[in-house]
Amino acid sequence: MDFSWTEEQNAFRQSVIKFARQELNNNLIERDRNQEFSRQAWNKCAEFGIQGLPIPQPYGGGGSDILTTVCALEALGYGCRDNGLVFSINAHMWSAEIPILNHGTEAQKQYYLPKLVNGEWIGIQGMTEPMSGSDAYSLRTRAEKRGDRYILNGSKTFISNAPIADVFIIFANLDPEMKPAGVTAFVVDKGTPGLSVSRKLEKMGLRTSPIAELAITDCEIPAENLLGKEYGGQAVFTSAMEWERICILANHLGLMQRLLETSARYASQRQQFGQPIDKFPAVATRIAEMDIRLETSRLVLYKAAWLKKTGRHPLREASIAKAYVSEACVQTCLDAIKIHGGYGYMTEYEIERDLRDAIGGTIYSGTSDIHKMILASLQGV
Amino acid sequence: MEQTSTTKDQIRQFILQSAQRKGVSTLGDDESLSQNGVMDSLVIFRLVSFLEDTFNIRVADEEIVDENFQSVNGIEKFVESKLAKKAN
Repeated sequence: MDFSWTEEQNAFRQSVIKFARQELNNNLIERDRNQEFSRQAWNKCAEFGIQGLPIPQPYGGGGSDILTTVCALEALGYGCRDNGLVFSINAHMWSAEIPILNHGTEAQKQYYLPKLVNGEWIGIQGMTEPMSGSDAYSLRTRAEKRGDRYILNGSKTFISNAPIADVFIIFANLDPEMKPAGVTAFVVDKGTPGLSVSRKLEKMGLRTSPIAELAITDCEIPAENLLGKEYGGQAVFTSAMEWERICILANHLGLMQRLLETSARYASQRQQFGQPIDKFPAVATRIAEMDIRLETSRLVLYKAAWLKKTGRHPLREASIAKAYVSEACVQTCLDAIKIHGGYGYMTEYEIERDLRDAIGGTIYSGTSDIHKMILASLQGV
Repeated sequence: MEQTSTTKDQIRQFILQSAQRKGVSTLGDDESLSQNGVMDSLVIFRLVSFLEDTFNIRVADEEIVDENFQSVNGIEKFVESKLAKKAN
């Protein structure tokens, strides 16, 4: 086994950190308070090549393999303190770019991918509905075929990026009697009559990443906007979820390292009872546990990415990574706040925001409970 | 023939386990797994993983469609075709 990054990957990692620190951390407290997405930062990330990392060069991307992509996203999480921005980028990459790359026609790839990569367009996935979350395929949005058109009707909720999106991957059931097998994916462009953002939602964390509900009423789309095959929604969703569950928490690794370093530095400088607080075993132990959590999180996430790179479907490893890293990150945020004491609880120290943001990681892309259920079922439980 | 029977037995056993979790106790080999409620987003993930591990095959993303996974017989046919391609 070789756990090392190549020289090129390490250099790329450093360049991402430098870019993120210089360009992406402006006015964060205020933007978090106002739920303000930074289009400027989005465009800078696209210009740097973040959104195009896993997309092949003919479509404008960088053509990076999944491990290099994970490496870059980890660096982004380390250098960029706008976790909402990074989450929006993740949602865009895994739920819009990857489905189009893996299941789109050549015409769809040529049309959508360059603009999704260069930052001009923002993509999203519309799967979750008020009555279907973890049980994704029980969705109620319907598609009806009329000649060479499809008519979509339904509603979606908790749709990340919806208020700012240009491209929507909408899942609907083309034949409800077929149940999950009827699920079909469609690419719907912003401005298509019948598709609208019905209500913006306010959330606890990741507040710089907008989220909303969608209303879909007699939304008529041409046959060429079918994504994949009719009744092929499961394939589209499965491949998107696999990429997402492996990669979406790579930035958490960077966040955990940042919090570890910040906390260790603070503990060595903060004096109480005539000595630095890192001399107290309770504080030192907490720092050691943050380090253990970071290392084990890296191992499980890198392994899932490596398996994916070998062409396997790492269901078990992706679930372990998703459940473990998300929970580990929350605990590390809590430990960082405890080490910083009252200062850690204050907004100006920006750790409480990391905690609020990290909690989202235990919910989106399959809750920790769902991933543990998957893992238990793989053991025959 | 013996290989075919073994393949189907293993697939049937896996599907039956998933079915029993949903209260489905009997299952015909041609019965639609979507329509009887056995197949959902989690079972699909598990099934793909099971097939890759058990039969040492690779399932491409675009192959995860109902026509390949619609019944025990359908899954067996899909696996057999993958194994045949591998043998050639």
